[in-house]
Amino acid sequence: MSTIAETAMPRTHRRKRVDGWRWAGRIFLALMLFYTAVPMIWMLLTSIKSGFAAMQLPPQWWPAEPTLASYQKLLDPQNSVGADFLRFFWNSLFVSTLTTILGLIVAVPAAYAFSRFTFPGRNFLFFSVLLRNMFPAVIFLIPLFILMRWIGLVNTHGSLIITYLTFGLPLAIWLLKGFYDNIPIQLEQAARIDGATRFQAFVLIVMPLSIPGIIATAIYSFIGAWNEYIYAYTFLSKNEQLTLPAGIQRFFSENTTDFPGLMAASFMMSVPVVVLFLVLQRSFVRALTEGAVKH
Amino acid sequence: MQGRVVVTIVTGQAEASRSPEPARSGMVRTVWEHRADYAYVLPAIVVMLVVIAYPIYYTADLSFFMTPPGLQLRDKTFVGFDNYSAILTSGVFWKVTWNTLIWTLASTIISFALGFATALALNREFIGRGVMRGILIIPWVISAVAASYIWKWIYHSDFGIIGAILVGLHLTDRPPNFIDSVGTVLPSLIVVNIWREFPFAMIMMMAGLQTVPEQLLRAAKVDGASAWQRFWHVTFPHLRNVSTVTVLLLAVANFNSFIIPWIMTGGGPSNASHIWITHIYELAFGRQRWGVASAYSVLLFFILMTLGYFYVRALSGDKKERGA
Repeated sequence: MSTIAETAMPRTHRRKRVDGWRWAGRIFLALMLFYTAVPMIWMLLTSIKSGFAAMQLPPQWWPAEPTLASYQKLLDPQNSVGADFLRFFWNSLFVSTLTTILGLIVAVPAAYAFSRFTFPGRNFLFFSVLLRNMFPAVIFLIPLFILMRWIGLVNTHGSLIITYLTFGLPLAIWLLKGFYDNIPIQLEQAARIDGATRFQAFVLIVMPLSIPGIIATAIYSFIGAWNEYIYAYTFLSKNEQLTLPAGIQRFFSENTTDFPGLMAASFMMSVPVVVLFLVLQRSFVRALTEGAVKH
Repeated sequence: MQGRVVVTIVTGQAEASRSPEPARSGMVRTVWEHRADYAYVLPAIVVMLVVIAYPIYYTADLSFFMTPPGLQLRDKTFVGFDNYSAILTSGVFWKVTWNTLIWTLASTIISFALGFATALALNREFIGRGVMRGILIIPWVISAVAASYIWKWIYHSDFGIIGAILVGLHLTDRPPNFIDSVGTVLPSLIVVNIWREFPFAMIMMMAGLQTVPEQLLRAAKVDGASAWQRFWHVTFPHLRNVSTVTVLLLAVANFNSFIIPWIMTGGGPSNASHIWITHIYELAFGRQRWGVASAYSVLLFFILMTLGYFYVRALSGDKKERGA
């Protein structure tokens, strides 16, 4: 009896201590959830108010007369605001999709080479690719603007696609390389023994296995291009060319008091990327952390 | 596997340097033997050269010239280091540098601490964990432009929700001017930046936590280590590398941020929220002083190269450990 009591004593003591940390963790998580979610909830609540209801003191915590007017206005092609918004949306979709596809075409073979081959200069090239990621857009902005003007691409989506391609590439290569590193090289060796060329082994064996990685990288490039602002804001001046972030900024610097409209636009701009992200969260997170974490 | 590849490269170079004469023909030969390898990286390199190497060269070149507004670059005049001395002697430069320092340090440290703590709190099974993680990551996914507008509305000096809460609790009579007053603007913007950035640290640290060996933690528990001791002596040492990489990536991202200050305040009031990047942007595209802006960019380039050196060292140190 006494032995049981002795062994039980320290255990309950220890459990109590662990519980303290656990409760601290719970409270902390609740606070972080509050910090994260309240701005987003307030955005949604504001977006379903009328312009008059949004500007009251004290504020209506819950909209007294919820209305979807802001969304209707933004999505109505007959309305001039709606026509602009839909065009921005379409432009963003076009630029982001094309950037993603072209980026993958360039990044997939490069990442594979960095993962598998040991050609001279490999490390140097790989780290210069990574270093590119450290430099802000502003360093490249002035010369690229002059370059784009010189080749006549200012005010075209081409200028954006080319620049997005380059700032997306390093990360795409980095993410994909992590995936290729995890595909056993024996698979290709077996294929080579069976008579496949190196390129065939790459296209027929490795590519299909790396589809999850390619999808995750594609989402990452897409989100990056979708959210990009500086280049779009600098390279494009014509209203019908603008992408969503630059377009919304331009529109609301003229209509500074339409906060329900602004919140509705912010919400709709966020929906595609958040949905993409939530659907493929697992592979996305894995892709991002693959390079930095040892297994 | 990765580590072994690096190690073979390193030893290969060491052997080559020992005997210089055959090494050169050996080098040419290996390059020639690997010519097919380069075909895979060539498209990436070409794109990089056009859009990265050329701009860097051009910026460095332009930083020695005075340019007339409107980018009539044929009329630029060579001024030597005048642009650089103009920057270093201007009072705005030191103001902006100070802001950048506060912005970068505060954002990086707090984002990392909050992200790490959240990752630890999420590092056990409970109902709703996946949903909670998803919600916490959303701020990082949405556009910084959207985030800036959301917070601009929250901080609004008449109808902002924070001001309303403070007035409702009778803490102040009037809603405070968070982003329109010199004293509060920078901390207010840092709060927004952290809101967007701590999820990134959280993701990285969660992935890192999964690599901490379960047996070690259990063994420590059996030996009577407290929760804090287990964290400090087992968990934390395992996370040193991923922490270094995360902090460096955060620092670089914060040093380079533009959108949040630009959209929310445009650098004002009276430069109180100007950081390097927004200041360079305004010099170039606002006041059209291209030469000065380029000189700023060159200085920035050197700072980032220093940070980049540590980044590469952190990454390759990681690899050497794996090889050994």
